[in-house]
Amino acid sequence: MINRILRYTLIFVLLILLQLFLFNNIQFSGYVNPYVYIMFIMLLPFDISSWLLLFLSFLTGFVIDIFSGTPGMHTSASVIAGFARPWVLRMISTREDYEFVSEPSLRIYGFKWFLIYTLVIVFIHHFFLFYLEVFRLTDFFTTFLRVLLSTLFSVIFIVLLEYIRRGK
Amino acid sequence: MRNLLNFFKRYNNVIIFLILEGIALSLLTSGNSYHNTRFIKGVRGITAGLERSFSRTGSYFRLRETEVGLARENVMLRNLLEQTGKMKDSIFYTVSDSVYRQKYLWFSAEVINNSVNRQKNFLTLDRGYNDNLAPDMAVIADDAVAGVIVGCSSNYSVAMSLLNIDFRLSARIRSNGYFGSLGWDGKSYRNAILSDIPQHVEVIIGDTVETTGYSAIFPEGLMVGVINEIEKSGSDFYRISVALKADFKKLRFVNLAGNLQKTEQQNLETQFQ
Repeated sequence: MINRILRYTLIFVLLILLQLFLFNNIQFSGYVNPYVYIMFIMLLPFDISSWLLLFLSFLTGFVIDIFSGTPGMHTSASVIAGFARPWVLRMISTREDYEFVSEPSLRIYGFKWFLIYTLVIVFIHHFFLFYLEVFRLTDFFTTFLRVLLSTLFSVIFIVLLEYIRRGK
Repeated sequence: MRNLLNFFKRYNNVIIFLILEGIALSLLTSGNSYHNTRFIKGVRGITAGLERSFSRTGSYFRLRETEVGLARENVMLRNLLEQTGKMKDSIFYTVSDSVYRQKYLWFSAEVINNSVNRQKNFLTLDRGYNDNLAPDMAVIADDAVAGVIVGCSSNYSVAMSLLNIDFRLSARIRSNGYFGSLGWDGKSYRNAILSDIPQHVEVIIGDTVETTGYSAIFPEGLMVGVINEIEKSGSDFYRISVALKADFKKLRFVNLAGNLQKTEQQNLETQFQ
């Protein structure tokens, strides 16, 4: 248990640092801005209680918000993503049930499953994030394009990170 | 009572979700507006020190570029000094004429936090009230418009970048004097959009766009950028794309201009509104 908490704290800190000092500085043409910190919410174990999942989502978004000076924006998108996670997991379950001791990972459930899982969660998160950011419905399709492109890049980076994590 | 408890038990995660989401949304709507002073002041105080040390490391790599820029500016200022000395003999100048009175007070500051990828971008500067900065001062980079200060703490200031969809500026075309409203459309950090120029005006690609000075924030005739695309939208006005002169991707040292006669102008204007 203690081991697990330590491991997740490490993942949390690493992802936040990666996001703030690497990925926040990556911008392709103003449309694309990958947000990989959402991976922390994805990786939490299956048997986590729903309230803890929501609180950790809140915390993750809040820390990112504080360091990027955007109060509430990442927090609300992360909480929505954390709330949607159980449904997403149920929707895309390939076997009868998930092994309760494990965590969502590429090694156990395969590339295809992980890709779909990442795609759905990241899309939900980015969708709310970018629309909350502009906070208006004019230029609806421009914002939608930003959502799609950023989702694509975030997914690529998250899958890459997952491969690196597996190698460890 | 039992039913109520069962209800709470069954939907407890929905309830927690609604509470947390409510907190987040209230933060978003209350704190993220134009003058988001309270949250930003509190939080920037904590993170600004950290950001400053990171930005200092970055500035070493640009030392040469900065040096060249400073040398060029020095030459320009020396030339200007030479001219003014000959134009009006300042030693024997005694009449106090408001035309010759200083209108803008200039400062300099370093940008310690900046972004170009959001829809609402802000800059953090390393000077504040203690260095005589105040809200509504103009932020000028590469001799071009970069933003306007919206909040200060004692040692730091936050400025709204031109790359912010809430930013509006009164600007005109230098060659013919027609003015319109300039804003950012949230797409590319190299371009802004000048609107409200009527279609009977002759506009040429390559024309310079500059500030009008109507707002009493920016000095008159400050360059904004160069026209690079003209589009006739359905209405009677052009939609002109302006290539910005300031490069927001490498903003480091900026100048600030505070208008000393701003309150005078505004007081007079409010009397007739």
